[in-house]
Amino acid sequence: MNDYATSRDQLERELAYYKQEYNEVGARLLRLQEDQSRVAREARRSKIVASLVREAYLLIGQEIPPETIGKIILATIADTSLCDCAAFLVRDPVVRERFVVEHAFGTVKDTSLVLATPPAYLYTSAKQAPVPESGEMSGLLGVPYVLWAYDSDQGRALLLGNKTETNIHRAFEAGDRELIEAALAVYIDVLQRKAAVTALRLAKQAAEDANNVRARFLATLSHEFRSPLEAIIGFSELLLQSGFRVLTPEQHNEFTHQILDSGHRLLTLVQDILDFSSFENSEPVLRRDWVPIFHLLQNAVRGFAATAAACNIRIEIAPLELHWQVSIDYERFRQILSNLIGNALKFTAPGGKIIVAALITGQNGVTITVADNGIGIEPHAIERVVEPFVQIATPDGHRATGAGLGLPIAKQLAAAHEGTLMIDSLPGEGTTVTISLPPGTARRAVKSP
Amino acid sequence: MTMPTGTAYACDQNIKTAVKICQAQLKTSSPDLILAFVGGKHDPAAALGALQETFPGVALTGGSSAGAISTAGFGYTGFEIGLIAFQGADMTPQVVTTSDLLRGETQAGEDLGRLVRDRAADGSVVLLLFDNVASSSPLQLHPASQLMAGFQKGLGDRLLHVIGGGLLTDINLSDSWMIVNGCICKHAMAALIFPSNIKASTVILHGCRPVSSFFEITRIEGAEVLELNDEPALTVVERMLGLELGTTSGQQLSLVATLGQKQGDPFAPYDENNYVNRLILQANPASGSITLFEPDFAVGTRVQIMSRDNLLMLESVERGVADLGNRIAGETCLLALYIDCAGRASVMSGAATEEADLVLRSLVPAFPFMGFYSGVEIAPFAGNYSRPLDWTGVLSVFQRVG
Repeated sequence: MNDYATSRDQLERELAYYKQEYNEVGARLLRLQEDQSRVAREARRSKIVASLVREAYLLIGQEIPPETIGKIILATIADTSLCDCAAFLVRDPVVRERFVVEHAFGTVKDTSLVLATPPAYLYTSAKQAPVPESGEMSGLLGVPYVLWAYDSDQGRALLLGNKTETNIHRAFEAGDRELIEAALAVYIDVLQRKAAVTALRLAKQAAEDANNVRARFLATLSHEFRSPLEAIIGFSELLLQSGFRVLTPEQHNEFTHQILDSGHRLLTLVQDILDFSSFENSEPVLRRDWVPIFHLLQNAVRGFAATAAACNIRIEIAPLELHWQVSIDYERFRQILSNLIGNALKFTAPGGKIIVAALITGQNGVTITVADNGIGIEPHAIERVVEPFVQIATPDGHRATGAGLGLPIAKQLAAAHEGTLMIDSLPGEGTTVTISLPPGTARRAVKSP
Repeated sequence: MTMPTGTAYACDQNIKTAVKICQAQLKTSSPDLILAFVGGKHDPAAALGALQETFPGVALTGGSSAGAISTAGFGYTGFEIGLIAFQGADMTPQVVTTSDLLRGETQAGEDLGRLVRDRAADGSVVLLLFDNVASSSPLQLHPASQLMAGFQKGLGDRLLHVIGGGLLTDINLSDSWMIVNGCICKHAMAALIFPSNIKASTVILHGCRPVSSFFEITRIEGAEVLELNDEPALTVVERMLGLELGTTSGQQLSLVATLGQKQGDPFAPYDENNYVNRLILQANPASGSITLFEPDFAVGTRVQIMSRDNLLMLESVERGVADLGNRIAGETCLLALYIDCAGRASVMSGAATEEADLVLRSLVPAFPFMGFYSGVEIAPFAGNYSRPLDWTGVLSVFQRVG
């Protein structure tokens, strides 16, 4: 062998050596980089919980209702895990095997699934035999690979799904249990906190409302009680002091009437307060009967005939069919109508008109309206007039008399009849109050043979 | 002042809401054409309906995308939507399409190339978008290399600046769809031909480097590489990855490593711009082969196994964007389009930094910007005709000529 051949052999050996070493080092580099990528991808998954906790803190601080939290948290889970679809489910309190989808991310095929024995944790993969429950879950999401966690104490579950097993390089596996259970726990925790915050806010609002009512009660009552009491005391003193000067029979009669009228006003006031307080605590017990609608309206209007005549206000009953009856508690419904007609008289100027009407609506429902052409109510004040102890000032700045309980009581009694009270009003044009009773409240009278 | 282009981005599970958000962002008063990149979790018909309802009478093109990238945000949850609105004859591209990819990608590409040749002047910018996934089960792609071979043939001697990308519904290559003539369409390809007064400066962002000596492909059928150096290709790759031989499942290698073909002098120092990379679509344990994204390698092609290097990818972004920035400095830019391989998203690559975010932070565009996550990228390569590329980012900035 000559020197050239030796040198060539040497070079070839050297080349083979470098080639092999290059490939070895390259392979190690490739593996290291893949390991690094894998770790980064795993870290991304573990970031799900961190992201959720961060999101949770943000959500707790925001003014959003509890029912929207699931959607936001689900989007965070899906965004960080990059699953194809996901859902939060809640166990049906009645049909215990049924889980209803509360929130969904991506396409979900159904609104619920049925699991007789819901597992605490489940995942599907090509490496293990499918269990029956996974079929239901796959069916719900419309994908073959699912990951499920269930909190039996709270009756809530989280379900993730993928179309392909190696979604972003990784199949669902046993190690995902901590991840999905933590995600579910964060959701439940935020939900409960938010619900508690909402309940607290509502309770605070209720307390503030009650305080306002109490304040208005005191303000109204001090005025409404004082006026008739002062009249009673004043006129009684005049009667007692009659020894110093002689009262004419007319004066004696007038003073006595003033005392009697003030007494009636006080009695009405006390009765209203007792009624309102009683209805606030418990819904009134009704004694329903079939009452001819025409008679109901006629009697209600007759009760105000004298007052209306004295005020020069016309009260009319709109034409209606005579043979319809309505299922109501007569006394309580008369109370509603008295309050509405009384209010209408109070806020209608002399020469005005009040129309009381009844209309049979679909499926034998009834609406009864009391419409006046009085001073009307400003739009912003319409909601307030059904609050207790509220008296809205008239356009000329005067405050109407009364405890401000007429409409609140009418509303309570309408609700007790499963009905509603609605107010339509335009300042300067008048007010229409409508009581709507639900289908089945009216019927045609059975004719006597 | 009326803007010739506008971009908008939204991410919302409700497509109508998403489109409305986009509508509010667009500054173009009455666009002539809207190019839409719609996240793959949105229902295609609902998405098209929402677009048509929101932009009545406006021509629509585009299709699904694995995600969208914009200055207003980016992501790949599947609920993103990115819009580019074009307004005015001197900016709005003509759109020509084919829905015949199933008939043969080369022929469809050639047909489209001929249509483009008849409508485009030399030097015009053309954006190609195509339905990347031919079949979900079994997974088959429409090979961009065949589309481009046909397209170049159809162009004849017409010299154009062609960029493009393959549309996907998600990073898992589940599906894809396109909007063609007001309908949702499969097996389609669209060419957006920009007016001749528009030019584009393009940079290719890489990120792979060789980790092996050269292997010669000794057996190949289409995109399926059966042997490297007379050894089963899968065995070679498994050995490199340190996997137990014969254990690799179907998609396990997908997007992990690439085979790179070095252009020019094989022994020249490493330059990322000299490599055409092909991602491995799947491993085939039964035949000991690997299937590549494209069928453009042949027996005798010398390849190296390439590692996706995240650090290199981010360095390439900084280098490439800085280079592009120098090229466009002082010029009025109308639009930037970023066609980003879905494999570069951190959820796939494992990069600590989102590469798309780095592009935005490096470019700091003061003009409309829109990007989408793609299956394949197309760009002028090494001064020659445009080629399909894998695991790259193609960033183009559109400007007026002169």
